[in-house]
Amino acid sequence: MCLNPLLKRALLEILLAVDSAFFRSLSRLSLGKSYIQHCPAEDMEGLSSIYDVESEDGVGADIISTAEFNHTGDLLATGDKGGRVVIFQRESESKNEPYSQGEYNVYSTFQSHEPEFDYLKSLEIEEKINKIKWLPQQNAAHSLLSTNDKTIKLWKITERDKRPEGYNLKDEEGKLKDLSTVTSLQVPVLKPMDLMVEVSPRRIFANGHTYHVNSISVNSDCETYMSADDLRINLWHLAITDRSFNIVDIKPANMEDLTEVITASEFHPHHCNLFVYSSSKGSLRLCDMRASALCDKHSKLYEEPEDPSSRSFFSEIISSVSDVKFSHSGRYMLARDYLTVKVWDLNMETRPVETYQVHDYLRSKLCSLYENDCIFDKFECAWNGSDSVIMTGAYNNFFRMFDRNTKRDVTLEASRESSKPRAILKPRRVCVGGKRRKDDISVDSLDFTKKILHTAWHPTENIIAIAATNNLYIFQDKMNSDMH
Amino acid sequence: MLGKGGKRKFDEDEDGLEGKEVSPADGPSKVSYTLQRQTIFNISVMKLYNHRPLTEPSLQKTVLINNMLRRIQEELKQEGSLRPVFLATSQPTDPLGDNFREVQPAFSHLATPPAHPTDSASTTPLESCLTPASLLEDDSFCTSQTIPQDGPTDLPSPTTQPVKDSFSSALDEIEELCPTPTSAEAVGASTIADTAATDNSKESSGESALQKPEGVQENRINEPRLMDSLPGNFEITTSTGFLTDLTLDDILFADIDTSMYDFDPCTSATGAASKMAPVSADDLLKTLAPYSSQPVTPNQPFKMDLTELDHIMEVLVGS
Repeated sequence: MCLNPLLKRALLEILLAVDSAFFRSLSRLSLGKSYIQHCPAEDMEGLSSIYDVESEDGVGADIISTAEFNHTGDLLATGDKGGRVVIFQRESESKNEPYSQGEYNVYSTFQSHEPEFDYLKSLEIEEKINKIKWLPQQNAAHSLLSTNDKTIKLWKITERDKRPEGYNLKDEEGKLKDLSTVTSLQVPVLKPMDLMVEVSPRRIFANGHTYHVNSISVNSDCETYMSADDLRINLWHLAITDRSFNIVDIKPANMEDLTEVITASEFHPHHCNLFVYSSSKGSLRLCDMRASALCDKHSKLYEEPEDPSSRSFFSEIISSVSDVKFSHSGRYMLARDYLTVKVWDLNMETRPVETYQVHDYLRSKLCSLYENDCIFDKFECAWNGSDSVIMTGAYNNFFRMFDRNTKRDVTLEASRESSKPRAILKPRRVCVGGKRRKDDISVDSLDFTKKILHTAWHPTENIIAIAATNNLYIFQDKMNSDMH
Repeated sequence: MLGKGGKRKFDEDEDGLEGKEVSPADGPSKVSYTLQRQTIFNISVMKLYNHRPLTEPSLQKTVLINNMLRRIQEELKQEGSLRPVFLATSQPTDPLGDNFREVQPAFSHLATPPAHPTDSASTTPLESCLTPASLLEDDSFCTSQTIPQDGPTDLPSPTTQPVKDSFSSALDEIEELCPTPTSAEAVGASTIADTAATDNSKESSGESALQKPEGVQENRINEPRLMDSLPGNFEITTSTGFLTDLTLDDILFADIDTSMYDFDPCTSATGAASKMAPVSADDLLKTLAPYSSQPVTPNQPFKMDLTELDHIMEVLVGS
């Protein structure tokens, strides 16, 4: 089976058309007014919209596929299905607008990955950005890793706000002057200019993965990172692109024996030898790289015994872990499966210390969700800065927050209608039974095409980024804005 | 009745799923549980082949769906051995009988091996491919299976030959449907044409492929015929010689698909034809064609099937 060249060209044209649409919308976006809020204090759950990105067409390429704050929280990077990375920067507080802090504006946009074609397999390699991870900042420049299904790239983001002027032999455009016109010599000077953000590719880590890369994670040693695909995890040095070390390989000798895949993976935030990976059978495996070079044998296996009373055809699918995140303290792990989010203590392998139901009302709809493929959606999860609140997405543009101390939970909605600038988000409820309160939404009217898969929490403050299809919502805690 | 069974299946696909409990424990009855399992089975099989062309299917999804199919298979296997008890208490009324039966052709169709008439086990029409050879050789199991088989085969439309659940009737049907060798070659998928049985199985898949370009109308005309061919093929698959050489995984990963194409066009008469559009028998044959052209010794036709299966598996998981 070989690719029809006409088909390919048509495909590329479509992609280009989509891209330009995205560009247009982006330019409008950066010109558009962003929102500032200064509302009376509310508790943690009363978040309000401060920024809202939308492009005119929701057709594919601009669907946000990942969102990630950097280590200070001043930058937020999003990747989309079209292979583009958009970086938002938090504006510093200005004198005449005392409440403007927290407002994120577009800082830089660049094309990270392009569609490719694997001619050996006759398969397209999508340009979709699967994950972005920021490197700890070492100097004035920022660096991030972005990956699609196969290739990881290291990008350097630098600022330039001055330019040299007054060359003797070159004019403003850089062309050589006619020597006869040069009558006097001058010393070139640096003149301030509009801030320019330059993004340049520094390293391309290719050919490391046969399967689809689902996660990357930078090690706390700041020198290495790992990348995980469905069956293997590789360890890379950030400066070396031509070799990587395979640290996990679960590929069976015979692929017919394959019953389990790696779904996500992350380094421990403090111990550079520890990492965790999750599987499609619902387990987490903690590995210690000091034990052996190839961590095929886990150090610890976190697995909850199946509850026979809730066993169904879909037990395995809904127990498949879609995301795993260490807490900032490094003591806990957060694992999201289809219906729940669980907190595991690293010291207890037998069962999670906390289990939160994200949308248990879907339990009776699993067959439909299987049929329309929603059951395979990969929801991410996030910790807040103090590890006391966890957040994860759901359907109908809803996202959920769970307070670990008070055991309170809330459902919030990220939508243009409900989140006017500075408005406080109203908690939403999904009603299951017959009786229905005002503003409740019934399970049957949930929109399964509007799903919040990607969420990110500012590393220290209560600012969250919610990716809802092609919209990015940034919400901020009211308390937070009051403090400033 | 056979046709009706098919229709019921598609109704189920379209609207009957909402709110259905899927847990075996709390299902209202055994029958609806079986129906659900059938539905899930059908969805799963469709999913395996319904991904976007030219893109690599998600391995995670493929693996999860395969595990689902394995699980259902496991259940059917267990039920199979319990079946005598079950049948003794309740005569096989249609829903259960039909649906239980339907799974089987889906598994067994393409990989139909040549039958060995001398083989004693081959005289019992069985949901063979789903059950390991060890089970097949269990007499009580085999004979009990003939009962549900009787239900559907008694009732086909009058145009069909009366099908008895014996191998001889299967042979009759093979003769009736016996293809012209040229048509089999035209499809290019058949490399063995030395036994009528293999020809027949290839032919029926070839037929659906050939009809496809001529539109749904053509398909419908041919449907009764295709359906007739099903019980025949169904019975052929009971050759134990084949089964002992085939592992569960082989069956699971390969046989399902091909039979889908052969089987579903038959049932698409209920107006669900559009739903079937993404997967055409054409496509299937195209993908299979390169793989089936490997040299095979005539007396080991099932070996060819195994290599096919391997290739399909490779394509599936993208190894």
